[in-house]
Amino acid sequence: MRNSKKNLSKHDAMHPSIPELREQLKKGAVDRREFLRTTTLLGVSAGAAYAMAGIVGPATDAMAATPKKGGVIRMAMAVQDMSDPHTYDWVEKSNIARQMVEYLTITGPDNVTRPLLAESWAPSDDLKTWTFKIRKGVKFGNGDELTADDVVYNVKRWLDPATGSSILGLLNSMVDTKDGKDKDGKPIKIKTMTPGAIEKVDTYTVRFHLNSPDLALPEKLYHYPAMIVHRSFDEKGGNISKTPELGTGPFTLAEYKVGEKAILKRRKSPYWDEEPYLSEIHYIDTGPDSSAALAAVASRQVDALYVLDLNTLEVAKGIPGIVVHEATTAQTGVIRMQTDAKPFDDIRVRKAILLASDNAQNLKTAHRGLGSVGENHHVCDCQPDYAALPKVARDVVGAKKLLAEAGHANGLEITCNVGNTQGTWEQDSVVVLKQNLAEAGITLNVNVMPAAQYWEVWDKAPFSLTSWTHRPFWVPCCWAWLIAQACLGMRHITIAMRSTTC
Amino acid sequence: MLILIAKRIGFMVMTMVAVSILLFLVLEISPGSVATKVLGQYASDEQKNIWLEQHGYFEPLWYRYGVWAGNFMTGELGVSHRFKVPVGDIMWPRLWNTAVLGFWTFALIIPASLILGVLAGMREGSKLDRAISITSVLTTSIPEFASAVFLSAIFVFGLKWLPGTSGMINGFDPTQLILPVMVLFLYDFGYVARMTRASMAEVMTTPYIRTAILKGLPYRQVIVKHALRNALIAPFTVIMLQLNWLLSGVIVVEFFFAYKGFGALLLEASLNQDIFVIEACAMVAVFVAVATQTIADIGYTYLNPRIRFS
Repeated sequence: MRNSKKNLSKHDAMHPSIPELREQLKKGAVDRREFLRTTTLLGVSAGAAYAMAGIVGPATDAMAATPKKGGVIRMAMAVQDMSDPHTYDWVEKSNIARQMVEYLTITGPDNVTRPLLAESWAPSDDLKTWTFKIRKGVKFGNGDELTADDVVYNVKRWLDPATGSSILGLLNSMVDTKDGKDKDGKPIKIKTMTPGAIEKVDTYTVRFHLNSPDLALPEKLYHYPAMIVHRSFDEKGGNISKTPELGTGPFTLAEYKVGEKAILKRRKSPYWDEEPYLSEIHYIDTGPDSSAALAAVASRQVDALYVLDLNTLEVAKGIPGIVVHEATTAQTGVIRMQTDAKPFDDIRVRKAILLASDNAQNLKTAHRGLGSVGENHHVCDCQPDYAALPKVARDVVGAKKLLAEAGHANGLEITCNVGNTQGTWEQDSVVVLKQNLAEAGITLNVNVMPAAQYWEVWDKAPFSLTSWTHRPFWVPCCWAWLIAQACLGMRHITIAMRSTTC
Repeated sequence: MLILIAKRIGFMVMTMVAVSILLFLVLEISPGSVATKVLGQYASDEQKNIWLEQHGYFEPLWYRYGVWAGNFMTGELGVSHRFKVPVGDIMWPRLWNTAVLGFWTFALIIPASLILGVLAGMREGSKLDRAISITSVLTTSIPEFASAVFLSAIFVFGLKWLPGTSGMINGFDPTQLILPVMVLFLYDFGYVARMTRASMAEVMTTPYIRTAILKGLPYRQVIVKHALRNALIAPFTVIMLQLNWLLSGVIVVEFFFAYKGFGALLLEASLNQDIFVIEACAMVAVFVAVATQTIADIGYTYLNPRIRFS
């Protein structure tokens, strides 16, 4: 919905590891995807990185046929309360808001992160100091120019515990954790921004000072709540749906009713980049029933769907004019075990569950074979950091043996929570696992709960299925099923990822 | 009669108080979870405590109930955490939408079921009676979620005559009402028709009707003047009780057709644990239930001369 940016950033100095990366690319030690991602994160422009890798970049606007200007697109999607961008916990909220409010960076479908409101960035050699140049001439809807003050205001706001943003967990390298006490004197951990973690260098330059190296900082700045609002956002009531002029994006919110609709219209004041082709975008909430959204498509009440779930996929294919395209993403279902909770604190139990589960059958039955089989870790073969590991064959006898060793010779009863947050395949997947585990003498109780309730317990329940959203890097996996080997001994990683999911 | 009305209204108030206590206990007994629901999953313990204190959650339970019930009666229904606006701003328009849906549904159900019920009950066992009975049993036994799928497969996906969802996004559109009304009509008219038929058939076997027929009165006059008035007393109560059914029955239909009504609101509030909306919707639903029951009771008493004059 927005035109891709044609920005080539210029840098005073190239990061010292770039020549080495080029060397590794030549030798075949890194592949092109990894080379592109790393060099662009290190501050090389996407165009230059593609040139270095000797390949042509993805099609730009100029290369595509010129579309006609104007027109309205209507999309069926949940319209939720979206007052404070920094506290978003559903991508749907950001989908509406990102037409009005923008990010410092933007990650493209090629997994390459490019500058957006930032013009360029340059990390220090140790990746702990990052200097971001801010694009000049970017105007908010209220006429003010975007400056370093706005960026500093936003970063401080993200990392203020009073805001309640998930970014606080994501930008761990800019945060101090202190022991504090709540009102009743119970000890709690309080995370706050490390003083001086963000610095205004001049009107158009900011610098991030990290406590530890972080190559992924530019990617993280495209985390969906990390939007840049005007510095007066809190003063004006802290509600972007009431003050859409406090964003720099090409659209403004004309009508907005939670649970019903959000109508976006092209903003009247000039936009800093190319004008969007569309004159209006309508998001229409057809409720939680996926068949209603499909009925809206069939009767041409909407032009597009945000979610097409498996239950309605076959019906969708039968509607004349609908072509279903498949794309490989790292979206996945992850059944996770909490390694410090009983009985999963015993590695033999975890291994037994793993050996008893049939991931191929799970994919075939619960997800109609659409996707690739999970390999019990979080990395998808479409991600740069994937490496094939030896396959684990199903071994029910071995699983029983391990269980007996762990003291569960007479069987084991466990419960798995599932919230069907992305469709009922989640529940089906757990049911397949239940049957798999039954063969090894494990009784699995399936605890189905409403999506909203699930998000309250997903990081606390010892055993649960969570839909993992695609990210450019290693976090998630292809449409695949993992039985939490990834979480063996890695509970803290799971908790840290809290911020990057849901 | 006045004593009866006073009694019925007293009973109605007591029911509502009892339900409100239950509702309050179920939803608000654990203040911690209330704060999580309102502030969201990333809220810190500190934020939750501040919120709970500000909203009086550290007061004793009975006191909190008193404040809540008092606010409720003065129209202060709280603020929806999902919509971020006062509950009333969301609920009343949604209730109105359901009333519109209900009006058209009843505008069709009442005449259709009464006429068909009377026709069937007039001559029990006749061909007409059998045809009507079979149709009404058939349509009533198909649940709304099934008929909604069938009808939309035919009219939306197949014939492409009707819009698939009824969100009324661009203002009121009567064509969007057709499918939801059709589904509700199909499910409910058969039931009311069967009740009318039973009542009519019963009246037709009473001695005074036999007397009227034997006296030589024209059949038409027997039906209209003598049978109908008595036969319609029972359907009146049944129809009043259908209002109750409608408030819960619409959940499925509103959900399926994305109609922005009261049922869909209640369902979405439950799924999202929007407690103040659940509380308000539940109380409105209880009010409708006991109020229609009371009106049905009073109306029945009024319509039935044997009770009226005793």
